[in-house]
Amino acid sequence: MFESLQHLINGFGIAGTVQNLFYCLIGCIVGTIIGVLPGIGPIAGIALLIPATFGLNPTSAIIMLAGIYYGAMYGGSTTSILLNVPGETASVITCIDGYQMAQKGRAGPALAIVAIGSFIAGTIGIFGLVFLAPPLAEAALAFGPPEYFSLMVFGFIVLSNVTGKSLLKSLMMAIIGLIIGTIGIDPVTGNARFTFGSVSLLGGIEFVAVAIGLFGIGEVLVNVNQPSEMLDQKVLMPRLRELYPSLQDLKKSIGAILRGAVSGFGIGLVPGPAPVIATYASYMIERKVSKHPEEFGKGAIEGVAGPESANNSACQAAFIPLFVLGIPFAPPTAILLGALLIHGVNPGPLMISQHAGLFWGVVASMYIGNFMLLILNLPFVPLFANILRVPKRILLPLVILFCITGMYTVNNFVFDIWMMLLFGAMGFLMRKWAYEGAPLLLALVLGPKLEVAFRQSLMISHGDFEVFINRPISMVFLLATVIFLIGPVIWLIFKKSKKGGD
Amino acid sequence: MLKKIFSILFVFSLIAVSPIQAAEFPTKEVQIIIPWAAGGATDLIFRALAATTDKFLGKAVIVVNRPGGAGAVGYTECMQAKPDGYTLVSAITPLTILPHQVKTAFTYKNFDPVINVVSDPGMFLVRSDAPWKSLKEFLDYAKKNPDMITVGNSGAGGGVHLIALAFEKTAGVKFNHIPFAGGGPSVTALLGGHINAVSVSPPEGIEHVKAGKLKIIALFAEKRFELFPDVPTVKEQGIDFVMGQWRGLASPKGTPPDVIKKLHDAFKQGIDDPVFKKNAKDMVVNLSYLGPEAFGKLMAHDDEFYGKLVKEIKK
Repeated sequence: MFESLQHLINGFGIAGTVQNLFYCLIGCIVGTIIGVLPGIGPIAGIALLIPATFGLNPTSAIIMLAGIYYGAMYGGSTTSILLNVPGETASVITCIDGYQMAQKGRAGPALAIVAIGSFIAGTIGIFGLVFLAPPLAEAALAFGPPEYFSLMVFGFIVLSNVTGKSLLKSLMMAIIGLIIGTIGIDPVTGNARFTFGSVSLLGGIEFVAVAIGLFGIGEVLVNVNQPSEMLDQKVLMPRLRELYPSLQDLKKSIGAILRGAVSGFGIGLVPGPAPVIATYASYMIERKVSKHPEEFGKGAIEGVAGPESANNSACQAAFIPLFVLGIPFAPPTAILLGALLIHGVNPGPLMISQHAGLFWGVVASMYIGNFMLLILNLPFVPLFANILRVPKRILLPLVILFCITGMYTVNNFVFDIWMMLLFGAMGFLMRKWAYEGAPLLLALVLGPKLEVAFRQSLMISHGDFEVFINRPISMVFLLATVIFLIGPVIWLIFKKSKKGGD
Repeated sequence: MLKKIFSILFVFSLIAVSPIQAAEFPTKEVQIIIPWAAGGATDLIFRALAATTDKFLGKAVIVVNRPGGAGAVGYTECMQAKPDGYTLVSAITPLTILPHQVKTAFTYKNFDPVINVVSDPGMFLVRSDAPWKSLKEFLDYAKKNPDMITVGNSGAGGGVHLIALAFEKTAGVKFNHIPFAGGGPSVTALLGGHINAVSVSPPEGIEHVKAGKLKIIALFAEKRFELFPDVPTVKEQGIDFVMGQWRGLASPKGTPPDVIKKLHDAFKQGIDDPVFKKNAKDMVVNLSYLGPEAFGKLMAHDDEFYGKLVKEIKK
């Protein structure tokens, strides 16, 4: 413990040099911009800047590239809140309450609480990284295909009804998401599935296209469908005093931020799209613990504070498997792994001892970077909030333009734009008939992983289904799923019989 | 007579300079399409090579990622590009595998080979505490227990999967192949003890071998690794099996030979640049230069080999 602290202090010495502070700042600024722009996310951002780091020493390079990753978590929510366009995948959930807050003239507090929550969660995440990294990384290895499958089932069942409206409609959307997730090359046999001979579909449907389509484009179409007088209407604009959260907002949010930070950190250690799942889980938790769950979906500040904190600490946690095992669990850390390799640093079990300066320097820089991001983001709140002063007549076409260019930057692929527009039309219809986009997106993320884990497990066990209940971790998750499903029913029967007895 | 010779020389000189484009090549930046996402091994190698080749080519070399369709999107795009040498593609082993698996618009024949840069041997890793001390013990166990040893790979039908299949055929054993989404996840599953072995190619898993958590049980290289001189190849142990994955550059079919030569010469100098050599060493990739002709032969050989292998799996 004290040893770690000593190392961390040395790390601050490394991260605190003028050169490294400068690269940290650059990383944070680029990360924020990438987060704000829809489509282009931390993966593309880091990849684009790797060649620019060839001339740098490894520590400065990784400090800058890591800054892009967690910086994007700050910026990602901006367009979610203002325009209902998720800036990156981990900010999909923020659209639900963040956008509602903005429509009620509370864009300022929403944006500010994201920065504050991200800062607190980032800090908690870094402390977790410092003190718990090696044991946690070892624990993550206990997750094989069967455990992974059961965890995914649990997540899928528990999280798919994230907004708590119609369970039936949520499950319908989740199933559509699962079906879309099967398009592309079969992960086990290598055959093409549901591609209808199209080369463009071989790689599957791009998640970003579905996310921006359902939320962003769908929202624009809903607006266009309104009587034309509505288009000249501006969103309620707050007075300057209301640009930042009130004391009451902060009181409401602090619990959500802390819960989001802790749950996000835990989920961040699991392989896969952890930041996305962390945001869903946090939203779910907040809605459950809230004394007024009916406010969720109508602009509850906890619904913004929790998930946005969760994605930040999940992002810090994702560095643990990268640094300790040399194995990237999340796509952005895979890019960082590449960057480390190109600088002659091979992350793995020996990294913390062999490259102590780099490891602790980068960790310390994350703390400094989180502070920089807080300072950077808060002053921008009024500026961003003012975007909503633009009349919808002008704003909406700009949003479409913004989405199209953003979508193109993800893969430089025009086909993705058509997909996005198609899902935009679907998002419009879904909105009209009150179907939710969130369960579909969750299923699209989890579905392919679920399928692969299921088939891997059965291949390993030679088709024996007992593999899922013979292994303790897997069984616990399956049991928890069953309890979650039948628990409320039993509770209801129990309550009824008690009443009957009275 | 002299006049005649002069006139012939004159005609020849005309022919020599007639492809004006080639004489001036390159007049603008050259683009390398990577049909995979940024940050993978292929992407990193060619980004590093692009950085050192700029100065020899005289124009910038730009790397563009066109992921999707297991590489099909990027290859199709390069195939359709003008064969003028300004659009290249990273030609790696899957180019000779994918067309046998799914219907693609291209095969390796739609491209002109330019240069091969890297060739990494395949290998099997097991945990250090595995019950098998040597390749012989490993194979003996596999012979007695067919279909029981689980061998992870980085994706169904991918390079290391096919290497594993080819090896089991040569060695006369049968493994239980488990596909994962990439080399990272398969190595993780091995570390966690969820599978028995994994088929990879460097740098995947190398760090864990260095740390003593994993060991190389079978190495399909021509010669031993510099890094691990104690690990014998399978060839030394009496199984004639050498296989790996290559990564080179190709241009659309019909690129003028002198343009290819210019590109080849520039990239060759880029490979020999000490900066690139150091980058490659840091990434633990095995530099293996081949000129256009030899690279073309390699592609043709592997295409035939994988074609047969894929057909057998699909049966």
